[in-house]
Amino acid sequence: MIEIEHLTKCYGSFRAVGDVSLSIPNGQVLGLLGPNGAGKTTIIRVMTGYLPPTRGKASVEGFDSVTQSHEVRRRLGYLPEANPLYGEMRVVEYLGFRGRIFGLARAQRKTAVDRVVERCWLKEMRKRQIGRLSKGYKQRVGLAAAMLHQPPVLVLDEPTSGLDPIQIRETRHLIRELAGDHTMVLSSHILPEVEVTCDRIVIIARGGIRADGTVDQLKQKAGDSQHYVLEVKPESGNGSMRDAIRNISGVSRVDETTIDGWTRYEITGDATSRDLREPLGRVVSESRVPCRELHRESGSLEQLFVRITSEGDAS
Amino acid sequence: MSQLVAIARREFLSYFSTSVGYVVLALYLLMSGLLFALSVLHTGVEASMRPFFDLSFFLLLFIAPAISMRLISEEMRLGTIESLMTCPISDAQVVVGKWIGAVGFFVAMLAPTLIYPLVLEWYSAPDYGSIFAGYLGLLLIGGLYLSFGTLASSVWPSQILAYLVAVFFWLIFVGLTSWLPRFIGDPWSAILFKMSIELRYSNDFSKGVIDTSTILYFVSGMIFFLVAAVKIVESRRWR
Repeated sequence: MIEIEHLTKCYGSFRAVGDVSLSIPNGQVLGLLGPNGAGKTTIIRVMTGYLPPTRGKASVEGFDSVTQSHEVRRRLGYLPEANPLYGEMRVVEYLGFRGRIFGLARAQRKTAVDRVVERCWLKEMRKRQIGRLSKGYKQRVGLAAAMLHQPPVLVLDEPTSGLDPIQIRETRHLIRELAGDHTMVLSSHILPEVEVTCDRIVIIARGGIRADGTVDQLKQKAGDSQHYVLEVKPESGNGSMRDAIRNISGVSRVDETTIDGWTRYEITGDATSRDLREPLGRVVSESRVPCRELHRESGSLEQLFVRITSEGDAS
Repeated sequence: MSQLVAIARREFLSYFSTSVGYVVLALYLLMSGLLFALSVLHTGVEASMRPFFDLSFFLLLFIAPAISMRLISEEMRLGTIESLMTCPISDAQVVVGKWIGAVGFFVAMLAPTLIYPLVLEWYSAPDYGSIFAGYLGLLLIGGLYLSFGTLASSVWPSQILAYLVAVFFWLIFVGLTSWLPRFIGDPWSAILFKMSIELRYSNDFSKGVIDTSTILYFVSGMIFFLVAAVKIVESRRWR
């Protein structure tokens, strides 16, 4: 269980995170989604006890991240964003070092190292120097180090960064596998990754939570936006067709492009307007022009993400 | 305790996996060998290591900061400080562990020079008591230099800057406490002379005298600089 209450973190006069509250129950896989500089890493750093909050608090399994920082760290496995490693050490040497830091006894350490080496597909790289590994293998070493002491909470900042498509699929599979026994926080800006691996998604932008829900809930929210695509082949000019679409009540914007002689209209309706497919269909039939496509775009996480993040850019 | 040992062990071994460690080692052995040959190996003079110890004081002033310059700054540059500081260890364990690792390397660097007394033994009968005191003094001075180097490395993320700051700090300190008092009167000269690590070293250890007040003085200095380094590392979280 992770609890974040009214968390605010300022760096000097810059407020990186403002009044964020979040509760992550045991066993949940939570995806923190947001553009660069949104405040994801700051939230994670406070959660892991690396940074103290300016205001508010964070707790892991009931332990405060500032006053009981050691208890929090004992229960956390953390893969930082840049995945910093000691390049001069060999893979098993590094994992052994991490085991010692976490206070694992010799026999326990050996078992733990063997387990994570197996689980993170590092068997062939056991004796290799970390500095000589590819980025993908380094990422696996970071993941193995985070899992080594079998923490109940895993915090993974960009876990698939640098991996090839097969490794990404395997890592996502591993995350899903671990999900049963761990509470997980996964930070990413890769939408499909979060969509596939997380039970719940929190979209962070400009230091605050902008959306919170399951994948389906957020997709539904994304669908609130009215976006339609219409492709027709007008016989004489496009002006009258465009005007007819614009005159439909509830249409707020019409974008027009031509592809292979077909005119594509991307129509945005007011958030509160009714379904515009029927009046659009009527315009097409009254114009008596060939039509090859008319559809309402379904809500996607990407749409919601873009909408939320661009709201800030516009303001 | 096991965490402290783990940090120290990793730090110690890391010197032998980078070229910097071997360069420092080779440079020191070359310079100390020259010092020994030029200052000790003379026909007709007493079989004493004292000239070697006296000159080593200055040599280490330039060598020790090269050992300590990377201790914390390298962790900051690589970002490994984040994964270290999110493990269940204290800032003090990290700083002291790294310092112990550096002292370990310093000892490994001094170890080959133990051949010098054996060379003296070949020609004469050196006083092993004073040789022991001399090495103990070098160890204490090394520990002191390295503790300030650890502090400099925690303040400046650039290794070169950390090295230069440490060298200039000790040059200024030695100038203020060993050279300046010769030109000013009491009571300041007496106070400054008392603070001089060079005089304390050459008047005690180098001569074969083990003075507990001097040991306490050096150990206090180490504790002072290490506590300051811990505070600097801690303060980074609150900025």
